[in-house]
Amino acid sequence: MDDFRSLRILDTFKALFIKLDIDYPVMRRILQVKLTLDERRVPSIFNGEVKKEGSIYLKTLALYAFYGLILIPFIILGENYMFQMSLVFGVILFILMTSMISDFSTVLLDLRDKSILNTKPISRKTINAAKIIHVIIYMSFITSAFVAIPFAVGLFTKGIGFSLIFLVEIIIVNIFVVVLTAILYLLVLRFFDGERLKDIINYVQILLSVGIVIGYQILLRSFDLATIDVEYVFSWWHLFIPALWYGAPFEMLLHQQFSTPMIVFSSLAICVPLISFYLYNRVMPSFERNLQKLMTETGSNKKKWAGIDSFFSKIMCRRKEEQIFYRFASKMMTQEREFKLRVYPALGLSILLPALFVFNDLRMYSLSEVSNGKTYFALYFCNLMIPGVIHMLKFSGTYKGSWIYRSTPIQYISSIYSATLKAFFVKLYIPIFLINSVIFIWLFSPRIIPEIVLILLVAVVQIILTYRMINNEGYPFSQSYEFAQEQQTANNLLLFLITGLFVVGHFIALSIPLGIYIYMMILLVIIVLGWRVTFPKK
Amino acid sequence: MIVQTEKVLSIKDLTMSYGSKKVLNGIDLEVHRGEIIGYIGPNGAGKSTTVKIMLGLLEGYKGKIEVFGEDISTGTYTYKRKIGYVPENAEVYDNLTASEYLTLTGELYGLDQKFAEHKAYSLMHHFGMEKVFHSRISSYSKGMKQKVLIISSLLHDPDLLFWDEPLSGLDANSMMIIKEILIQLANQGKTIFYSSHIMDVVEKISSRIILLAEGRVIADGTFEELQNQSKEGSLEQIFNQLTGFNEHKSIAEKFVEKVNEGQSNG
Repeated sequence: MDDFRSLRILDTFKALFIKLDIDYPVMRRILQVKLTLDERRVPSIFNGEVKKEGSIYLKTLALYAFYGLILIPFIILGENYMFQMSLVFGVILFILMTSMISDFSTVLLDLRDKSILNTKPISRKTINAAKIIHVIIYMSFITSAFVAIPFAVGLFTKGIGFSLIFLVEIIIVNIFVVVLTAILYLLVLRFFDGERLKDIINYVQILLSVGIVIGYQILLRSFDLATIDVEYVFSWWHLFIPALWYGAPFEMLLHQQFSTPMIVFSSLAICVPLISFYLYNRVMPSFERNLQKLMTETGSNKKKWAGIDSFFSKIMCRRKEEQIFYRFASKMMTQEREFKLRVYPALGLSILLPALFVFNDLRMYSLSEVSNGKTYFALYFCNLMIPGVIHMLKFSGTYKGSWIYRSTPIQYISSIYSATLKAFFVKLYIPIFLINSVIFIWLFSPRIIPEIVLILLVAVVQIILTYRMINNEGYPFSQSYEFAQEQQTANNLLLFLITGLFVVGHFIALSIPLGIYIYMMILLVIIVLGWRVTFPKK
Repeated sequence: MIVQTEKVLSIKDLTMSYGSKKVLNGIDLEVHRGEIIGYIGPNGAGKSTTVKIMLGLLEGYKGKIEVFGEDISTGTYTYKRKIGYVPENAEVYDNLTASEYLTLTGELYGLDQKFAEHKAYSLMHHFGMEKVFHSRISSYSKGMKQKVLIISSLLHDPDLLFWDEPLSGLDANSMMIIKEILIQLANQGKTIFYSSHIMDVVEKISSRIILLAEGRVIADGTFEELQNQSKEGSLEQIFNQLTGFNEHKSIAEKFVEKVNEGQSNG
């Protein structure tokens, strides 16, 4: 447990805390433990990379600093503050809000606090102060990592006035985000149970992972297109976009634009956080009470309709044993939060990458040119997710439950994995592939349908290949995620290359008359034989 | 208690080692129909290991094990149909709901999906847990999880039960229900093999007690037989005596001494 620099900075305010009747040494000790715990936690932005204590935290900050670079062009390009700074604050709000929810929910929702701290002779005030300071330390780290470089750039290119507004707004935004998250949780907890809240946090984590990658892609691509010399026109619904509130003060103060919308926006920027802070203080006790919900075993007791899984299990699997595991695997894939967190971002990318590629093409060529071309090969991007997801099928957060595979009378052990792969194909791959196919058929005309079928067959071959290369033994959902990163990258690279080989095969097939159909037949034979060999009946 | 002659389980000279560490040093056992066997021993004596081997959860043992007359080393799986198992640490796929999990295990034991779900619901209902039937198991308390596991081991009406610490996490009332269930099942001719650290429970409901220490059976018989053998009153005392443990007083004394110690520098 190292001594933290943030704590030493905090020490300078020691007198203030003591004046507020807070037991400073105790609070400091609590914070020290919490910060140590944070160091050992893997933030979701890393998608659960190798666990190495200490350095992780710095790496996160470095990553935030890197993401922060995206703000620079918006700051230096032009003088249209309403647009530029609204965008900047939009990004800041997004990053802070999502990282707050995904990585810092644990602090706001920590119940161990209750049984560990509240049972000790420590005043409530001290505990709450520790909680708040903890959040603030974390948020100020992230914020400063994220905006430090853009801020310096702003200072040099736009001067002191600009930087002052920037600084004040950043502080307000910080408070706003913390309070808003707390209020959001409060609302969720009032109307739903703890399980639902955990689900929401899970989705936000997924959103963050996808959002960062996609956001980067889109922003970088659309940048040269951006024509930001447009005059800002006010509409009433703009009032509900917080990013605009924070763009307005720059416009108002630096361009002396004292129009009504600007004044309204600027006052919203200051008043809303203040009001929510006041609200937060008022509702904090009821928040604590509602937190208890997380511990109690409420939870919806509605039966989930599983008709689709049942239906497909009968179509996809002949043996009853396999059908059982098909349904089991489908549930595991859709209900396990940790699995979703690790896999769904990749799925999100699979939906968007092919579209991004075509979009890129559309900027350079006309629609008719593109639709006669071969950009639909971008559909192969869907297949890139296969190795990663299949690799993840080995793991589960509750992997210790896997004893049921062995304690129950299962005739063909191989049916466990064959069913799991089928469930992956139907439940995760097909929907994404279908969405993309529909878009692509609409863009490229139905002439590409045979080739879409071909790509689907390639996907099946890849599933078998991947399984043989990286799983091939053991049971699904039976290992701890701790081991999830081992020797994955090398294999994945190889498997990506294999996708490339299939693409080459596709090109060759196109140059031969009826080549596509011959290729399909070959793939079908590989699938049938491969499946039989991989999942023997005996 | 009448000991029936039908042999359900037999273990001959079972040894098992993890690497160079020997955990089982030659266990011999015969279990007959209708017996309630309390399998006791200090932590690390090899209780769970024996049970896991019999279920095929662990491989690499030496010796011969027959369950329902079938040698389990042949890779057979059918004998498991008549076995119900509650594992030691309540580990389940707890992101599933009780309904989903119980239906899954029921089906794996060969029940029909609808039937399994129905039966699971009624059993949950009798434990007063029908309200959480469709909630994720992760939201359950330890005792509720344990009850789900007990139900999952009984859904298919097995003839032989392996329960590893079935009472952990249960409150006194639930414990009484489970004890009564055990007795009634045994009266029907089912065989129950369970381990526990709660000595008075073992003392009261077991028709036979097997004491294991350092991978060996060091006592085997009814409670009365064990009493005669060791000349001690309670199972707890027998347990202490047979495992050669009589330092509890001196250890406690040293411990309390440390608790009372004041702060030396401040």
